[in-house]
This record gives sequence, C-alpha cells and structure tokens, in this order.
Amino acid sequence: MDGLVMALQGGLDSLASYLAAHVLLCLVPAFFIAGALSALVPQQAIIRFLGPTAPKWMSYSAAAGAGSLLAVCSCTIQPLFAGIYKKGAGLGPAITFLFFAPAANILALAYTGVALGAEFAIARILLALAFGIGIGMIMAILFHDADLARLGDAATFTDAGGVPGKTLAFVGMLVALLLAGTLKLDILKSVVFACELPWSGAAAVQQTLDRWVPVNEAVGAEGLSLQGAALIALLAAIAALAWRGLGTVDAGFNRLTPLALGLTVLTLAFAALGVRVEAAGLVVSLTGRTLAVAACALALIPLARRFDVWDIQQWLWETWRFVKQIFPLLIVGVFLVGVIRVFIQPEWIRALAGANTVLANLSGVLFGVFMYFPTLVEVPIAKMFLSLGMHPGPLIAYLMADPELSLQSILITAAIIGKLRAWTYVGLVALFSTVAGLTYGAWVDGMPGWQLAAVVLGFVAGIVGVLHLIEGRRRAARGENAC
Amino acid sequence: MLIKILGSGCAKCNRLEQLTREAVAELGLDARFEHVREMEQIMAYPIMTTPALVVDEQVLVSGRMPSQEELRGWLQPR
Repeated sequence: MDGLVMALQGGLDSLASYLAAHVLLCLVPAFFIAGALSALVPQQAIIRFLGPTAPKWMSYSAAAGAGSLLAVCSCTIQPLFAGIYKKGAGLGPAITFLFFAPAANILALAYTGVALGAEFAIARILLALAFGIGIGMIMAILFHDADLARLGDAATFTDAGGVPGKTLAFVGMLVALLLAGTLKLDILKSVVFACELPWSGAAAVQQTLDRWVPVNEAVGAEGLSLQGAALIALLAAIAALAWRGLGTVDAGFNRLTPLALGLTVLTLAFAALGVRVEAAGLVVSLTGRTLAVAACALALIPLARRFDVWDIQQWLWETWRFVKQIFPLLIVGVFLVGVIRVFIQPEWIRALAGANTVLANLSGVLFGVFMYFPTLVEVPIAKMFLSLGMHPGPLIAYLMADPELSLQSILITAAIIGKLRAWTYVGLVALFSTVAGLTYGAWVDGMPGWQLAAVVLGFVAGIVGVLHLIEGRRRAARGENAC
Repeated sequence: MLIKILGSGCAKCNRLEQLTREAVAELGLDARFEHVREMEQIMAYPIMTTPALVVDEQVLVSGRMPSQEELRGWLQPR
C-alpha cells in the first residue's frame, strides 16, 4: 500500500512542478507559434524548392526547412514525405525531411531548451541537421539505381509566392515572446521594481505546499512555489475559457475568445514576475522579463490586425487543436514518468549509462527505438534519466533516436519506400545516434576540440570510403552488363 | 458535381469537408462527396500537401484551409 501511495505521490509531484515551471513561458508561446506556422505559412512557398529539377544543395536545405516549419503535425509529415519522395527531389531529401521534422519543430526545441538546458537544444538541432542531411545523402547513393526510375511531375512545384512579410513579422514576434520568456540573460533577470505585499498567511500557505509537494534536490523534485500554484489555477481557468473561446473560433469570434486570450497574456506576464515568500508577506518584483513578455504580447496586436479575420481565426483554431492533441498526452506522460521515477534505482542507470561508453550510447539508442512515446514526452523522460545520473552523451543518443525511430515512423516509411530501404534507414539512424552521443559525451567530458574533429572526420571518411566502394562496384557491374 | 476531399483523416481534412458541405447546402447544390484517405490515390493528384479539395477532378486548393467566401465562389454555378 505504501508503495502505491508513494508512486502516486511521485506522479503528482512531477505533474505539479512540471505545470508550474515548464509549461507557461515556453510551451504556451510555442503552441501559438506552431498554430501560426500551420495556418499562416503557405506550404507551397517551401515546397517549390523541392522539385525534381532543383539543385541538390537547395533540395536538401528545403527539406530540412520544410521539416522544421511545416511538420508540426503528423498529418503533414506523411503526405509531404510521400510527395517529396515520389514526385519531387527523391529519396535523399525525403529522408532528410523525415529525420529532421520530429527533432527540430518549434515545440520540441522550446521544450528541450527549457527542461534540459539550452546546450541540449542546440546540440539536438545541430546534430539532427548534420545527420539528417548525411543519412539522406547516404540513402540516395545506396539506392541510386532504383531512384532514377521515378519521374517528377514538375507542375506540382510551380505556384508560388513566398511567405508574406506580415506572416514573417507575426511569427517573428511570437518567437521573440518565446525567447523573452525563456532566455536566461541577465538583463531579463534584473529587477526593475519591487514591492512588498503584506500578507501574513503567505508563509503558512507555502509551508502547506512544501508538505504536499516536497522539494528534494537529490532526486530532481522541484517542489511547488506559491506562484506556481497560482499559475496552475490560471492555466485551468484558461483551459475552461479556451474550450469554447478558441475551440469554436472558426465559426466566428465569440465573447470568450478575447477573454481567453487576455487571460493567457496576463498569465504569461504573471509567470514572468518574481514572487518571493517572506515572513511578513510577499515580495513581488517586476523584472526585465515581465516587461519584455508584456511588450511582445502587446506588439502582437497591431501585427495581427494586418491579417484577414479568417486567417486569425484559423491561427487560433490551429493553436487550440495542437493543444488538444498534444497536451493531454503530455500530462499523462509526465505523470507516468513521475510514477516510474519512484521505482528506478539511480544505481541501475549509473551502471548502465553513467559514463560515455559505446555500450552506454547503444543502450540509449535501443531504449529510444523500442519505447514509443507520444510527441514531446521524450523530454520529461530524458530529464528523469539526467536526474538519475545518466551521462549527457547517452542522453543525446537517446534523444536523437527516440523521436526519429518509432514503430509508427518505421511503418510509414516502409509503406512508402519499401521494407529494405526502411530498415537500412533504421540501421543508419541507430549508428548515427550512437556516434552523436559518443561525440557529445566526449565534448562534455572535456576532450580537446582537435581530437574530436579528427574522430568525426575519421568517421565521415570511413563512410565516404564505403560508399565509394559500393559506387565503384556498381559501376563495374554495369560495365560488364553493357559489354 | 463530384467533390473529393483528399486527406489522411486529420482534423484539418475533416474540417474542410464540413466547411464544403456547409457551402454546398447553402448554395443548394446537388453534389456527391468522397473523402479520399488512401495515400496512393491522394498522390495521383498533382498535390503534395493535404487537405486538398478536388471538384470534378480539378484541384481547387491544397495545403491550406479556404475561407467560406472562397469556397462559395468556387462552387457557385456559372
């Protein structure tokens, strides 16, 4: 019985500190950005660079761009992947797109940055970019012959128009809001103005919260502050208002729409306030972050007015759809991570993946391949492993492999490009993720840069050599046939 | 007229079908609806992004949601 209570307590603890600490300033703006990318960016603007006649460098970079800009939603990934492969640039860019999309969309990056630290987010995007293009090119060379048979339909890629300036300005301001809320710069942390609110009960409330959700640095439990508890209440209020206010917005704005949006902005500004509990009351401090968040949110209003009403309704509807689609899974995921956390002994993780070895990285990759977690849940899981003592190297290996390789993505890939190619892709991703983990781990452990560069260059040279051999043999075979 | 909605069954695609049905009902048109979910069949059309609206085998829009006015303009008998 005690074990059950402890497990439930663990789940609730992790959920409470997650909702209070991580969600607001990173995920809320990120959801709005995802909605804007999905509703306001014309997909053709990027796809036209993916035609069969486009030069290689352009189609690979466009595939990566399409991955991060368009593919926030899995229903876009599948047709785009099939389209790039069957009608467009071919197998290579299609694979680049498939690899890059889950790791580099705005939700995944924002969340990784806040929960695990900016260096993990940067490592994730750089490694995903390099390896996405690398694996795409290898696949293109390996299956070169079969790839030539398909002919593109150039008409699909004409059309045009770029991304309108007003969309760029709008999405840019949303990104600024996200950064203002999450970046750890001194100017954002500096206190502009502080005042004391007399409230003798504050300390007692905080003590109650500490008893409910105990802080335990050793196991990574963050506890729940008074401000955090208020934020959870505000989130619940937003959800209640947004259910109708944003959920039915495509049929026209209703009375709840401005209320839901206004409350969201207020909540964001409140989350950026500094609140400290003292014996006599609360010390509330207005920081640079509060001002920056409020300024960005206000600046959105004139930018939004430049759009048609229909576009804005689409944006809000898409945003709410993402929230409805992803958020419940995330909450369940975070709760379960907290429950499981109670049962895993740190010694196991340390023994298996506490150091940056090949075996440790491989086990990180294997765990990522065989466990399927819904979008974004890989991040709290990674955080749990980190607090249990996993080395950053194997952690990156896991973070690279988990979203790229799930049963679902393997099945989609196999259905579109065939079993042999799909499993070759899986093998390459596993290999590259292991190498990515080893490289990042070595860098964290303080290996000198030139040594690291030499190892990576050696790895790349090895792959190029093998590919060259394959190419050569194929050419020889073709020569014999011709004679 | 034959109206086809191309889409893998995502929320946007269902939304497009609903909007189109509303527009058809409003204009009092006689139309048959088909929701195409098979990737092979979708890819037979010159599109790369869903949802897409195809009326009498002609692609009217793909990859974005048209507004009600746009829909009515396309469907209006000329």
